[in-house]
Amino acid sequence: MADFAFFLGCNIPNRLPHLELAARKVLPKLDINLIDIPEFGCCPEPIGIQELSRDAWMAMAGINIALAEEKGLDIITLCNGCFETLKTVNRELKHNDSHKQKINAALSKIGKEVKGSIKVRHVLQVLYDDIGLEKIKSSVQKELKGIKVAVHYGCHAIRPSAILEVDDPFQPKSLDELVNALGAESIPYLRKMLCCGTGIEGIDKENQLWMVHDKVAQVERMKADCMTMLCPLCYIQYEMGQLQLKKEPYNAQFKVPVMYYLELLGLALGMDPSELGFKLHRVKVDSVLAKIL
Amino acid sequence: MALQISSEFRKEISKLGEGVSVNYCYQCGTCSGGCPALRYTKIYNPRRIMEDVLLGFREKTLKDPVLWLCTMCHACLEACPQGVQVSEILVLLRNMATELGNFPEHLNGEISALMEYGLINPGSGAIQRRREQLGLPEVPRPKVENIRKVAEETGFMRVTGYKPKEGA
Repeated sequence: MADFAFFLGCNIPNRLPHLELAARKVLPKLDINLIDIPEFGCCPEPIGIQELSRDAWMAMAGINIALAEEKGLDIITLCNGCFETLKTVNRELKHNDSHKQKINAALSKIGKEVKGSIKVRHVLQVLYDDIGLEKIKSSVQKELKGIKVAVHYGCHAIRPSAILEVDDPFQPKSLDELVNALGAESIPYLRKMLCCGTGIEGIDKENQLWMVHDKVAQVERMKADCMTMLCPLCYIQYEMGQLQLKKEPYNAQFKVPVMYYLELLGLALGMDPSELGFKLHRVKVDSVLAKIL
Repeated sequence: MALQISSEFRKEISKLGEGVSVNYCYQCGTCSGGCPALRYTKIYNPRRIMEDVLLGFREKTLKDPVLWLCTMCHACLEACPQGVQVSEILVLLRNMATELGNFPEHLNGEISALMEYGLINPGSGAIQRRREQLGLPEVPRPKVENIRKVAEETGFMRVTGYKPKEGA
């Protein structure tokens, strides 16, 4: 059993509790033990707060890292944004003395210090590198045969690759292989590496929705049964985005189910859909469940 | 106002970014070729921003709201044949713009949620009930006073102009 400090961030617990439910129910089945640290705050997010002040962003992230260090636990994140922030800042504080001094000076005012004693891991890394495809394959109770899945990585799981060290920055394969390990089929599609656009949602919603539109259109064209991903922000864009695309100027009637990868994993491990939060999906997933059951 | 060519701006960026440099940019445009923000917004163009930085057009660059149209996907940073960390430079430029009070209005909501709740999305009563139905534990409640204190120490209040609410 591997113990991790479970870093939920803001969006999963407060907007997408069914993603949290999937993590809490599924990961322990693969001997990943999630330990809550109730004092964890916002990571803070890398595409708003970092842009305002990199120092403040590092210092606030330092609080979270220090909390995990106090418990002697590596951090596991589900969200790409939380991952990018915590991994980047943890690395900076381990390897850049001037940053470490500056941030620890601020943290000393609240009696905290980052020592550089823990690692920050994305759930994708933990599944692919630690648990491994072989163990996952041998744990599958119900193969997801015949399910065609369009995989989306999300930028901040893989880039900047020299810092995040998860997968290739342009041709990643870990999540595709994790999908195939369940007996499902990861299908190729155009615009697979297109960004979800969350970073410009607040300033140019119209074009951001075109980014969502163009990807979902390609997924639909390839007759995928569903999309899958791990980042909650990407998840929101592709699920809520399909509802928003029904109106002008898009007029697109997409109905592509968006399955959280940990939900697919849970079903393959033999869980009943009633144990997961499928009723909270904004785009119906019945067509996928009907093929599996 | 005539634009003055100068190397001061890029020196300032290298100092702020500790080793991050735009000096090796030879304006090939690989960053723009793979940029989703350029493809969709048509007006955000990383090569052009790097050009303005090379030429030293500080005021023009930091005032232009187009700076905030990058999605931060980091494709430019990975693709640059010269190893210029384009998106990292964008972060530094946005920090410098913020110092001048030039940041998008919509970030104010995020700033106050972070300073008041320690979370940029503090949730609602409806979500709490849904969590109970799903058997999930209470949402994390960070020590907001700690977050505010380190924010203050690192200049966050000063650059964002955030003022704590009375009694908060």
